[in-house]
Amino acid sequence: MSSRKFRIPLAALLGLAFLVGCGVSTVTIEGSFPTPNISKLPLNVAVYYDQSLRDFAYMEYSETGAEEFNVQSGQSHIALFNAVLPAMFDDVVVIDSLDDAVAAEVDAVFTPLIEEFQLALPMKTKLDVYEVWIKYNMRLATAEGDYIADWVLTSYGKTPTETFRSTEAAINDAAVVALRDLASSFSLSFSQVPEVRDWLAQL
Amino acid sequence: MIEFMEKWHGRTVFGASLLVALALLAGCTSTTIDEFRQGETGIASDEAVVILGRRQASDYETRSEFVQCVGDRMARGEGAINVVPEQEFVDAMFPWFEPRTAPLRTRDLEQLMAENVVAEKMSEFGIRYIVWLDGFTETTERGGSISCTIGPGGGGCFGFGTWEDDANFDARVWDVGSLTNVGTINTDATGQSYLPALVVPIPLIARVEANACSRLATQLKDFVNGS
Repeated sequence: MSSRKFRIPLAALLGLAFLVGCGVSTVTIEGSFPTPNISKLPLNVAVYYDQSLRDFAYMEYSETGAEEFNVQSGQSHIALFNAVLPAMFDDVVVIDSLDDAVAAEVDAVFTPLIEEFQLALPMKTKLDVYEVWIKYNMRLATAEGDYIADWVLTSYGKTPTETFRSTEAAINDAAVVALRDLASSFSLSFSQVPEVRDWLAQL
Repeated sequence: MIEFMEKWHGRTVFGASLLVALALLAGCTSTTIDEFRQGETGIASDEAVVILGRRQASDYETRSEFVQCVGDRMARGEGAINVVPEQEFVDAMFPWFEPRTAPLRTRDLEQLMAENVVAEKMSEFGIRYIVWLDGFTETTERGGSISCTIGPGGGGCFGFGTWEDDANFDARVWDVGSLTNVGTINTDATGQSYLPALVVPIPLIARVEANACSRLATQLKDFVNGS
């Protein structure tokens, strides 16, 4: 009787363990991003986070085509831009709609978008590093919506394999390095983008 | 019975001798240090050193644990030096010392120091020397095999494994005052590790990276102090 009592929960546990082993693993990117030490530009800028950026997630598939890792990085990108932009410009406001830009009386509206996300895992590349590569489209427009600049930025992050670290933690670490790379290249190259440089010269 | 006891005793002695021999061999890590001095050095008590890992290579990166190990050892004992932790420095200097933006040559450091924000932060920390660590530990010559079994009556592992570790690190010392490279120290440590398994695996690990860290830290401390 007592043996039967244990048999059902044990079977259920084994079944669950099997299902967990086969399921998709969700990695929500989390990290802290320092404020850049750079000279501020005398600009009032509005930033618009499109819904596609807010909800951005990348799905990595196994070699058999099964869903393996769901990497959610939308909110960490927003946290990163919220740390970087106030260090770059005199005043920064987040707007919920592009229509709010005129009322916000800003010099420009900045819209970051993720175009592509790639993940390279050691079990597939046979290298001893986890790698994350992200391609962005950065858009700058006037408050009225007129074009100022539209440019592509890429960021890259890698982290070495370590014995007692999970794949999820390694993916998170590589993504955080990639986000820091984005912040450094974006903040240092912003005023070197030809269209932005021309626009700044006119102000 | 006596014959059985003698056999058992003989086997135990042989096993113990083998383990002791392996333990002695595992302790044998050979470390070579090369120093190339290009300028005079010395450090005041209110000045500090920051040790940074190079992370530009595509297939490896200098582990932050090794960088921390060298820093911790330089900061203690006779002739201890003030060492600013790597992450604290990189975060405070953000975005100037990230893998993509970090200066690769002293010429780049000169340009970087022209930025007021960088020069001010460097002065706040009291940085006199930047030490760039570049290298990694590689495991080669793996051999042997171990098989483990588990059954209703218990389990165990039998076999023998061995491998060699080679740690090779370069330390380049930049003088922030004169904006020049004042020297390079190279450390190369190798050691053989063994893993005999007689029911229970007994790891006899050569502490290659730890030895490389210890010897490099001692040499760097002397180098920076100018002794």
